[in-house]
Amino acid sequence: MRAGFWRSASIIARRDLRIEVRSGEALSVVFPFAVVATWVVPLATDASRGLLRNLAAPVYWLVFLLFGMMIVIRQTASETSDQRRVLALTGLDPAARFAGRTAASAMILVPTSATLVIPIIVLYNYRPPSGIWLMVPVIILAAMGMSMLGTLAADVTVGLRARTSLAPLLMAPLAAPLLMGAAQALESLIAERSMITWVLVLVIADLGLAAAGVMSARALEEIAL
Amino acid sequence: MKKKVLAILTVLALAAGLATAFTSPPDVLQGDFVRILYIHVPSAWLAFLAFGVTAAGSIGWLFTHRMGWDRVAEASAETGVLFTAVALATGMIWGKPVWGTYWDWGDARLATTALMFFVYLGYLALRRTTSDPYRQARRSSVLGAVAVVQVPLVYFSVKLWRTLHQGLTIRPDGIQMDGAMITALLVNLGAFTLLYLTLVSFRTELAGLEEAAHDSEASVRSRVTVPRLGEVEA
Repeated sequence: MRAGFWRSASIIARRDLRIEVRSGEALSVVFPFAVVATWVVPLATDASRGLLRNLAAPVYWLVFLLFGMMIVIRQTASETSDQRRVLALTGLDPAARFAGRTAASAMILVPTSATLVIPIIVLYNYRPPSGIWLMVPVIILAAMGMSMLGTLAADVTVGLRARTSLAPLLMAPLAAPLLMGAAQALESLIAERSMITWVLVLVIADLGLAAAGVMSARALEEIAL
Repeated sequence: MKKKVLAILTVLALAAGLATAFTSPPDVLQGDFVRILYIHVPSAWLAFLAFGVTAAGSIGWLFTHRMGWDRVAEASAETGVLFTAVALATGMIWGKPVWGTYWDWGDARLATTALMFFVYLGYLALRRTTSDPYRQARRSSVLGAVAVVQVPLVYFSVKLWRTLHQGLTIRPDGIQMDGAMITALLVNLGAFTLLYLTLVSFRTELAGLEEAAHDSEASVRSRVTVPRLGEVEA
């Protein structure tokens, strides 16, 4: 008997999270690497407090984009063509597979991105604006978008030798609306303006990516078969 | 034969476009630098058209799996990337004397056009990863269909964001341009459209030949068995 869409998605998500718990790659490799990146940037400047405070938010978003891509692509690349063939033979809905993989990546990316705020505050002497908690849904939306984009990029490049360099090349320009929405939402918060426009940009981008992922799921499944 | 006629027409139209570009009056504010726009604007428009055709070809392939759709998508994407590169380069050359800088991050259209350029470079890079035309089509069709969202983003960026870039010149309420200038612009637009059609038709034919070459190579490989070491007597 075939499992329903959400049940299938949750099985895939749980499997991916279990793999991450066992390997610990995001937490023990990618996250420390991201912290090192935030530590290196001040060395390339005169490290004055004013400059570093101005650089804090852009560096955070840059690290979020680059290391977020690394987490998402690593996460989704763990599935081999053989594993995908087996999943296809079980009759698993390809759209449920997309949803499950995306959910697992987002669940890893959200806490990792939130924790990255700590080194930014410590190393850049950054004072978060009041109401910083309003950025929580923004980070969740941005992370969900990144996860969907990463799943799509990994699916399109599955089985290619150049996958590790090609997937980020495909993903980075398409991630621009997500990065722009998140960064501008923070700027609006700092300037005490409404951030609803930028939240809407993130919601629309996420909905567009979800539609693209679900509609292309079957075509993408064929690539691995 | 048809392609040769198209190529000859394109050369004639480009010559006419060049003539009108150089004989149209200089702009009151921009002077002779306005002539760059007779290349820049048609290139940008043709890039939009090319990526729209790429999306149509990709969607056509996804629904029918007929290789003709993919050939058109590939040819149009390559031509679109070329036109986008020309639009970006001419925009920067024009920007230096008129805006005082080659690149301005305050210009939303410049930034979004560069993004569109990188997205389609990625599309072409994805196609280069395999020589098998069917696999190329399978991988790139999804990206070709999704990436077209960049086109309206670039087009409406001057309305959505604060920007240095001038607004729409040809609007429902009238054309905001001198008669001789609009003539030069339209002649060049026609010439560039012919150039696009010529490039796409030749590239589509070439893609068909590449496919045939790949199929015959695969067929030869399947018939010829390479002798293993030890099977051949000295």
